[in-house]
Amino acid sequence: MTSGRAARIWQFALPPLTIVAVVVAWEALVRLRGIAPIYLPAPSSVFVYLSRMIADGSMPYHLGITLLRIFVGFGLAAVFGIALGVLMGMSRTIARVADVWIAALYPLPKISLIPLLIIWVGTGEAYKIVISAVSAFFPIVISTYSGIRQTDRGLIKAAKDLGANARQIQLKVVIPGAIPSIFAGLHLGMGIAIILVVAAEMIGGSSQGGMGWLLISSGQVMETEKVFASLIVLAVVGAVVIKLQQWIDRKVAPWVSYHDG
Amino acid sequence: MDVVVEEVSQIWPGVRGTSVVALDRVSHRFQSGRITCLLGPSGCGKSTLIQIIAGLERATSGAVRIEDPQHRDIQHPLGADSVMVWQTLNLFPWRSVIDNVAFGLEMRGVAKAARYERARALIASVGLRGFERHLPGQLSGGMRQRVALARALIMERPILLMDEPFAALDAQTKIVMQEELLRIFDRTRKTILFVTHAIEEAILLGDEVVVMTARPGRIKDVIPVDLPRPRSHEMVAAKEFGALFDRTFHLIREEVTKTMAQQDALEAR
Repeated sequence: MTSGRAARIWQFALPPLTIVAVVVAWEALVRLRGIAPIYLPAPSSVFVYLSRMIADGSMPYHLGITLLRIFVGFGLAAVFGIALGVLMGMSRTIARVADVWIAALYPLPKISLIPLLIIWVGTGEAYKIVISAVSAFFPIVISTYSGIRQTDRGLIKAAKDLGANARQIQLKVVIPGAIPSIFAGLHLGMGIAIILVVAAEMIGGSSQGGMGWLLISSGQVMETEKVFASLIVLAVVGAVVIKLQQWIDRKVAPWVSYHDG
Repeated sequence: MDVVVEEVSQIWPGVRGTSVVALDRVSHRFQSGRITCLLGPSGCGKSTLIQIIAGLERATSGAVRIEDPQHRDIQHPLGADSVMVWQTLNLFPWRSVIDNVAFGLEMRGVAKAARYERARALIASVGLRGFERHLPGQLSGGMRQRVALARALIMERPILLMDEPFAALDAQTKIVMQEELLRIFDRTRKTILFVTHAIEEAILLGDEVVVMTARPGRIKDVIPVDLPRPRSHEMVAAKEFGALFDRTFHLIREEVTKTMAQQDALEAR
């Protein structure tokens, strides 16, 4: 019979322990079966490669380039997406027109735009930023618009009763009320921007670097350790971005967690 | 300020040509400086009526006038002299208590320092000093109700329109809030229209209880309540209170039975 305290520690320790167990099993498997590193490198040698890549500056360089592209693309998508979503919420005409375009373009896999973009803007920075901006744009517009539309009618009536005019209702009630939806859209958009930038870096065949380029060029020369090292970095970055967004959510819209008003 | 309701009807268009008559030619003069309780079964159009009076809904037909008994000829636009207190409170969940209370002044363009000073005084007067920076979601139901009351009172409008404001509160908190409202009324003598479906509440608060019928909402009877003021909860045990309760109860029972029959018929369809 374990005490409550021991049970809690066990609950807390179990998830990280499973990771440790898998890594140990992986290491053991590679060593015992003598698997060639080009198929499956041991975690220990992946770690050696990773620390070497960090030390010689190549990993920070590629990661920095990728993050820059993600944030520029995401930033553009956020600005234009929120702006269009708000305009759609305010004007029925804009909503009807934009709706047709969104309905037509949203289901299109954005990755299929890559050939066209390469023809138009080449394989430089513009192409990677445009692809991430375009793909992050849609979930942001859609969430912003639905957040604006789903404003509590009661709050609008109350504001009107307290003397708010139409403009004040938009600025002081509708938009603040849509913030949780807007943030949900930003989360989705960020996830998609990460995917598209890495994919674009792989496909572009360009020599500008970035995590996607690092992955594909390491893979092509069978440097599997570098491939794994890049994947680990991408996973960690993804987790950090998600945690950061959750932290920003709590800072900007703390009232959401209280649920009721 | 008197609220004069003349032949007001509200008809909601329904599906496949059917329509629902929420209010059917309702006429009444709600008098200045009195509490009038609108009592009726759920769905009898009480809330619709006060939203029409607030200028937030348009009646299908009929007229509502706001009249100063001393100057009957002066026209008052609907909504300009009244303020609502909602059953669902409708506090802005992202605004702190003080910013909720100061909302009306902010919309009017009152400078921050001035509106905060006013809001602080009102927050203190409803017993919430120290909670200015809290969010509505961090407060209990009774405290939120006080915020809603302060947010309405800061407007300094002569007419208070209250739509079942205490219906969602627990029994004890409800008693405290009713007495709070009675104190505010004794102090300010505002014209109060108070919608409720609780007979006891209607008699305790009202100078007059307007009993409404089930759908379509009509005025069934008007019961004057001549219990002395200031009032408190001890009066509930008085003999006069009991007699008024019985009289009202008999009127309302017929209507509740009708509503239930209507609902049964709807479900049977």
